[in-house]
Amino acid sequence: MKILSELYVPLVVSVGQVVIFPYYILWLKEASLTFTLFTWLFAAFSFSAALGYRMHQAGKKPANSYIPFLYMGMGGVYLFVGNISTSFEVLPFLALLFQVILGFLQGYHHAWHIEQNTFRLHAINHYLLVGIIMVALSFVKIISPTIFITIFGATLFICGLVFIFMKNNMDSAVSN
Amino acid sequence: METSPKRNKKHSIHKNPWFLGTVVCIFVVSVLVNIPIEKRKYGLSQSNLTTDYTGLLPERIERIVKVGGRTELQKIVKEANEKRQHISIAGMQHSQGGHTYYKESIVLDMKTFNKILEIDKQHKRIKVEAGATWEDVQEAIQPYGLALKVTQSQSIFTIGGSLSVNAHGRDIRFGPMAGTVREMTILTPTGEIKTVTRNDSEEWMKFVFGGYGLFGVILDVTLELTENDVYSIHTEELKTNEYEAYFSNLLSNNKTSMHYARVSVAPHSFLNEMYVIDYKNTGKKDHQTKLKKEHGARIGKLALDIGRQGGGLEDLFWKNQKLLIKSLDGDEITRNNAMRGNSAFMEFTKPGRVEVLQEFFVPVEQFEEYIRELKRFLSANDKNDDFKIHNITVRYAAKDDYTYLNYAKEDMFGLVILIQHGLKEKEIQNAKAIIQGWTDLTLKHGGGYYLPYYPYQTKEQFRKTYPSWEMFHEEKLKRDPNGVFQNIFYDYYF
Repeated sequence: MKILSELYVPLVVSVGQVVIFPYYILWLKEASLTFTLFTWLFAAFSFSAALGYRMHQAGKKPANSYIPFLYMGMGGVYLFVGNISTSFEVLPFLALLFQVILGFLQGYHHAWHIEQNTFRLHAINHYLLVGIIMVALSFVKIISPTIFITIFGATLFICGLVFIFMKNNMDSAVSN
Repeated sequence: METSPKRNKKHSIHKNPWFLGTVVCIFVVSVLVNIPIEKRKYGLSQSNLTTDYTGLLPERIERIVKVGGRTELQKIVKEANEKRQHISIAGMQHSQGGHTYYKESIVLDMKTFNKILEIDKQHKRIKVEAGATWEDVQEAIQPYGLALKVTQSQSIFTIGGSLSVNAHGRDIRFGPMAGTVREMTILTPTGEIKTVTRNDSEEWMKFVFGGYGLFGVILDVTLELTENDVYSIHTEELKTNEYEAYFSNLLSNNKTSMHYARVSVAPHSFLNEMYVIDYKNTGKKDHQTKLKKEHGARIGKLALDIGRQGGGLEDLFWKNQKLLIKSLDGDEITRNNAMRGNSAFMEFTKPGRVEVLQEFFVPVEQFEEYIRELKRFLSANDKNDDFKIHNITVRYAAKDDYTYLNYAKEDMFGLVILIQHGLKEKEIQNAKAIIQGWTDLTLKHGGGYYLPYYPYQTKEQFRKTYPSWEMFHEEKLKRDPNGVFQNIFYDYYF
């Protein structure tokens, strides 16, 4: 069970983040109004990712306990983005908040991921999968990017729940 | 090779979680304060549809010409006249009825034609290109201790744009804006460059000022200036039925140079309460005070957004407005700064809704009866209505003999109304019906409405308000026989 979650879920996250990027960026461009703000939102993501990465390195508790919540957090943000219906007034502020949360979680996840035994195997699979999925998506006539963002958000959220479920199962197996 | 601990520490500061956390916090705050208040996209566009400030009346245009020089401009106009092409003229595009563009027209973007040509301190005059804003002019004349005679309440508009709508502002002594122009250079529809004055036998000024860009391009103007006086601000709360007497007294007493008022649109004091702001002469002149910049726009917008909710929150907003205005009583301000009202706080972006302006003029002595009838006509609490009134300010517009399409055939009060309504067909029709009813009521009192805004009114109402429209139209056909200068406003009314 542990192998299953360690093997596939991080791959879903890393591949999914890249695949969803073209769709997410459309929303972000719409929300950011100006090119300056658009680039600043990316900068906010990046600084926050650096902090997330460092927080994982500095962490004393085993990071595995946070990972399911990290997936659920990322999933929650994407679900929110996919279903948001608010005025332009608030959108740039929300976009900034989302960028900071996503950056932090992605940085933290990356720092955790590279410590996993399966990371090297994932690296090759990651690139291959992204390539194949991107080619496949080129044949999909997009109805709305928000549909893909919502699906990805839901997938991440479910991955978090699966992680928690498996962890609970393993803990009870060990104690038995 | 060994590295010293000190060097290690220096190298790793950027990896310190506290340092990174601080970077994130500082950056987030910097982004937050730089998120623009104005979030809508409007204006000239070749790839998309062109609109003006409200985003209404979208239209595809042929091309945009960023105006650089007179020769280039003259060539474009001559060519358009020969080929029977249409040209529209755009400045900041704050007019709201398609005055700055027309379908498949060439739009002259005048914003780049903005040089200050000459300042004559001795005779108190400035010669400036028409694409310059009032702010550009103020920046140029402020060091000389000079100020404008008449300008709009905000300084963001172009000179050419304001003169084309013959705007008015807070000054109550110098008459209409058109009266402060000593000389003007225009590019006529046939491509001639002419320098004209008020005494010009062809009366170009009478048609160009308040001519909505239909008689030619204003290239430059020579404006009369005055001293940058220092005023003491006087504020007072009044009942609307006391205003006529208050203003009459104010006008007969030369102490006050500028004035405006705001009428309550909050449910509990709707059209009953108002406050006035007077700028009284102190006898002092100012050469040093810097021009104020717009500040507190986010807080102002937040307060207005609260007021926009209507009902009790609008009452709360009105109470706070009164407190704020009261706190200004006794302050001193220069004439230049009194002519630089804030505008960014009014920004409104909500999909499916729009905020527009309308201005109604009513003879000074009719104000009290007019407001009394208006109270019966409008709903005091518009919280649950689609058509909402957010603000009414009152300004004095002195009798205007300088323009043909003149809104002030006698001394008038101009009531500037900020309205919000929905964009569904039914909601627009509802707004039209209310505004047309309001216009009828205004006409009944010998008043009229202002033309730079969205044309909710009927042609008949236009003709009643502007009886010299026929003369205006005849002259347009005579001076611009090929219809070079065109816009949506002209298309609708003529």
